[in-house]
Amino acid sequence: MSRRSDHKSGWSSRSIGSNWQHQFFYLAIKIGGRRAAYFVLYFVVAYYALFSRLARERAGHYVSRRFPEARGLKRLWHGYRMILNFGMVLIDRAVVGILGPDSFEVSLAGREQLLKIRDENRGMILMTAHVGCWQVAMSVLEFLERPVYMLMRQEDGDIDRHYFEHAGIECPYRVIDPTGYLGGTLEMLGVLKQGQVVSVMGDRLLGSDKSSCPVDFLGATATVPFSAYKIASASGAPIVIFFTRKSGPNSYEVEIARVIRVPELPGRESSTFTPYAQEFAEALEEVSRKHPYQFYNFHDMWAVEPPSIKQEGQE
Amino acid sequence: MEIKEKLKQVLIEDLNLEDVTPDEIGNDEPLFGEGLGLDSLDAVELVVVVQKHFGVEIKDMDEGRPALQSINTLAAFIEEKSNG
Repeated sequence: MSRRSDHKSGWSSRSIGSNWQHQFFYLAIKIGGRRAAYFVLYFVVAYYALFSRLARERAGHYVSRRFPEARGLKRLWHGYRMILNFGMVLIDRAVVGILGPDSFEVSLAGREQLLKIRDENRGMILMTAHVGCWQVAMSVLEFLERPVYMLMRQEDGDIDRHYFEHAGIECPYRVIDPTGYLGGTLEMLGVLKQGQVVSVMGDRLLGSDKSSCPVDFLGATATVPFSAYKIASASGAPIVIFFTRKSGPNSYEVEIARVIRVPELPGRESSTFTPYAQEFAEALEEVSRKHPYQFYNFHDMWAVEPPSIKQEGQE
Repeated sequence: MEIKEKLKQVLIEDLNLEDVTPDEIGNDEPLFGEGLGLDSLDAVELVVVVQKHFGVEIKDMDEGRPALQSINTLAAFIEEKSNG
């Protein structure tokens, strides 16, 4: 009698680098600071861009959509810059943990807006994407004076470390596991009902792709999750779309791109929530047009065939 | 109408369970996974449905997890909250 099939997402959070390579960069940061680690990074990324088919393939999904006209060396160059920028973000994240939070300046545009939304006491869904460094945003949300819960999965064997793990401090946000009981949906709903904050990635399917919907993104149909819009509809919590970006060698900016309010909507068909997911996709496209090398998308979000409404009702 | 029967009826109607009749839903049958086959998004809808039709709020995981096991557990939760 089971009604819906379950397709697992093929995405993995694991780094393609080995443990010793990560340790080498951490050592470079301790000895020579951020610049020393960046210096090494240029060569390491050049190696991966030239000789790692896996790295080129993973970068290629986004590069081919963002720069459709690029071929050959030009495409390789775009891939190199994308991986290089991503590597810098990972180094920055480690720098904050190893050398302290004062290593970077973080500015937040929209603080008053966030406080107003908080004061509505309907909870808040902070939706972001793999743009810039989302951990940076988490580190500047203390002023909300509300616990922040992050829907995230860190796979067993993932050697990439978060900045608070480097620093040996308590994680500044609480984690909701999307592979936990009912995908964490009840936990998220409970948190929002208490007026607290849940942060989710709007561009990544976690666990299952059956709660996905198609959106227009960079000239083609991509697949994004719609669970957050359903939860917003059920709880009344506004969705705040924000992105972080590296704005200088030692600075980051956090900007609010949109506030989406999903009314109370019956049912769970993907088509009901597609317009809201499309709003998110448009915001993400705007940021990837402005800052093409700061969207770190290394999986093919255009490849997964989104389930049709008919399929969802079958089985 | 008894709570369990009403629950089955609203489950079918509000969650759009196709080709399922109230008689086919067992009182002890798991609602999620192998039983009725509901999923995580159905859980969100179920929370909304229970509040809308029974005026009972499932506030968090501590309440929701034991209550949403089966028709029996959900009916008992609704009854307890309604009387409390």
